[in-house]
Amino acid sequence: MGRRQYAAILRKDLIRELRTREMLVSMFLFVMLALVIFHFAFSVRAGTDLTYFTGGMLWVTFVFGALLGLNRSFAQEKDEACLDGLLLCPVDRVTIFLAKMSGNLIYLLVIQVLAVPVFSLFFIKTSYAVHLGPFLLVVLLADLGICALGTLLATISMSSRARDLLLPIVFLPLVVPVLIAATAATTGIFARGDGLGSLGGKLLFLAVYDAIFLVAAYGTYEFAIGE
Amino acid sequence: MALKKLGSPAALFVGAAAFLVTGLLLAFWYAPTDASTMGFSQKIFYFHAPIAECALLAFAVAFVAAVQYLRTQKSVYDRLGYVSVRLGLLFSLLVMATGMIWGKAAWGVWWAWEPRLTTFLVVCLLYAAYFVLRQTVEDETRRATFAAVFAIIAFVDVPLTFFATRFMPAGLHPVVFTTGGARMEGSMLFTFCLTMIGMTLLLAALLRLELAEQALKEELDELKIRAEAGA
Amino acid sequence: MATDDTHEIEVEGLSKSFGRRPALHEVSFCVQAGGFLSIFGPNGAGKTTILRILATLLRPSGGRASVAGHDVREDPMPVRAAIGVVSHEALLYGDLTAHENLRFYADMYGLADRESRIGELLERLELSHRRDDLVRTFSKGMRQRLAIARAILHRPRVLLLDEPYAGLDPRAAGILDGLLAEIRPEHTFVMVTHALEKGLELATQAIIIEAGEVVFQSAGPVDVAEFAVVYREHVAEGAVA
Repeated sequence: MGRRQYAAILRKDLIRELRTREMLVSMFLFVMLALVIFHFAFSVRAGTDLTYFTGGMLWVTFVFGALLGLNRSFAQEKDEACLDGLLLCPVDRVTIFLAKMSGNLIYLLVIQVLAVPVFSLFFIKTSYAVHLGPFLLVVLLADLGICALGTLLATISMSSRARDLLLPIVFLPLVVPVLIAATAATTGIFARGDGLGSLGGKLLFLAVYDAIFLVAAYGTYEFAIGE
Repeated sequence: MALKKLGSPAALFVGAAAFLVTGLLLAFWYAPTDASTMGFSQKIFYFHAPIAECALLAFAVAFVAAVQYLRTQKSVYDRLGYVSVRLGLLFSLLVMATGMIWGKAAWGVWWAWEPRLTTFLVVCLLYAAYFVLRQTVEDETRRATFAAVFAIIAFVDVPLTFFATRFMPAGLHPVVFTTGGARMEGSMLFTFCLTMIGMTLLLAALLRLELAEQALKEELDELKIRAEAGA
Repeated sequence: MATDDTHEIEVEGLSKSFGRRPALHEVSFCVQAGGFLSIFGPNGAGKTTILRILATLLRPSGGRASVAGHDVREDPMPVRAAIGVVSHEALLYGDLTAHENLRFYADMYGLADRESRIGELLERLELSHRRDDLVRTFSKGMRQRLAIARAILHRPRVLLLDEPYAGLDPRAAGILDGLLAEIRPEHTFVMVTHALEKGLELATQAIIIEAGEVVFQSAGPVDVAEFAVVYREHVAEGAVA
């Protein structure tokens, strides 16, 4: 039954997101705006090569994009007091966590699918044979950590008076390790053509980060969501 | 009976003072000046490192208190967590301050993005967020619960942050906050141990004091509420 | 009346404090299977708190409560499966259609006959014609009707009602009356209400809560005269026939 409940929650959240017709357009606009802002912020000299910055710019965009998605994932439950309805059901709190996390993951992946080609087109001057496989691995591992942590924190922030302000403040310091590792890995891949060999340490680190926070979320989610 | 006296805040403060003052004197007159480029400024290490380790110790105490609170729901653990995080944050700010002074004296820079300083900067921001979290959750039980959850994940994040800083590209002139070679010589080690013990005692003393103060404060608040309700 | 040992709902010495603010103090009562308990009391007395504890949404600070044979603190999952809750919050998603809302809850409760049950309830509550409309567009009365459908979707044994008639137009109230009468047998009810006549009419037992404590309790059928005295004293200068 857990699987059916997981699917039900995920489906409900996806239907609601897709019903907001402007969803996809807004996300694309967000990516484009980020790109433009970065260009103006960093191009202090004519012909500046931002290739080495692409990894960093991408992950900053992803982290802030993730924040937008995280805010949405619980906003409606809280606003319409639907959370009670969810908690009344005979459902494992961890199932709720996994479903919410999956929704956030999908949101983040959409932003990434939009951003990577666009940023590469605009910023990467050197042409390397980019190792896509390792890059995907970096993205997936980092996403998992970001979404696990983010979902847990979004659940907590939901009860706060200053919900929109609190989430970034608690989320960003905790996500620093992922940011450092993912940026280093991505910069290596895009600017130096790094392959799986030189990424080993960072991938392992991301995997460990994910494992630790998934366990932490599993252990504390019951407390985060209930009363 | 004697043991209890030994553990009282007064005794702890006296002990701390004894160790720290002795350590300070030894640092200046007994321990040899560092052979590397740091020279005299290296002596800050005798305080910088213990303060750093005590900060982490305080956060570890908060972690344990948080776990205990989630298990037992007893407000004394919430109080302990709050006080420890506060002291830990204070000590972390001191780490940054002593680190920056050391950096300026030894290498001429106020700041360097090297692993330890960077980690403590993030740690400061992280535990400052703890207080923002507490401020913005109104319901008392929820506040304590969420603070506990945060204290747990924050603490596991500290080593992760430290390891992640290894992935940062190294600077041109590495700033390294340790003391002389791989091992400390006898006199250096002795001095270091003294200040380490002294700092730990200071932490314990402050914890005891602040815990009692916080308990009194909460009791006062409760009496105020009751007085207003009764009136 | 034959002695019935199995109480469907048992509350013993229930206490609840929010931080240092006490909300409930040593509340005890029980409801037998098939019974209907009405809870009255002034605003802020703790009536909703009792309901939320029975619904496993709140953890009690002291005492114990069990619903359908399971303790709410130790064993909340079977309790959740056995109860249906109607509160003044509809607990429905405005951006989903009526059908999607019910489908969601049917999946959450693991209903086997999902579509037929949804169809049956939409019929019964006269909402079939709006089944594919967004709940956001529903009137308050319709929303409450759908909320009732949601509450009884999984055929719960126990129904917890928090001011279910609040804000209902006469037609919707009539539908609710009919529905309650229909499912009355073989279901146990706890209702919090300010509607005195309705509450007393339906009840097999009643309690009055004030400032977190039980000030009136009837073990069996309510003695209206006695009830009126206590009610006037603790709750309001109201007309109790």
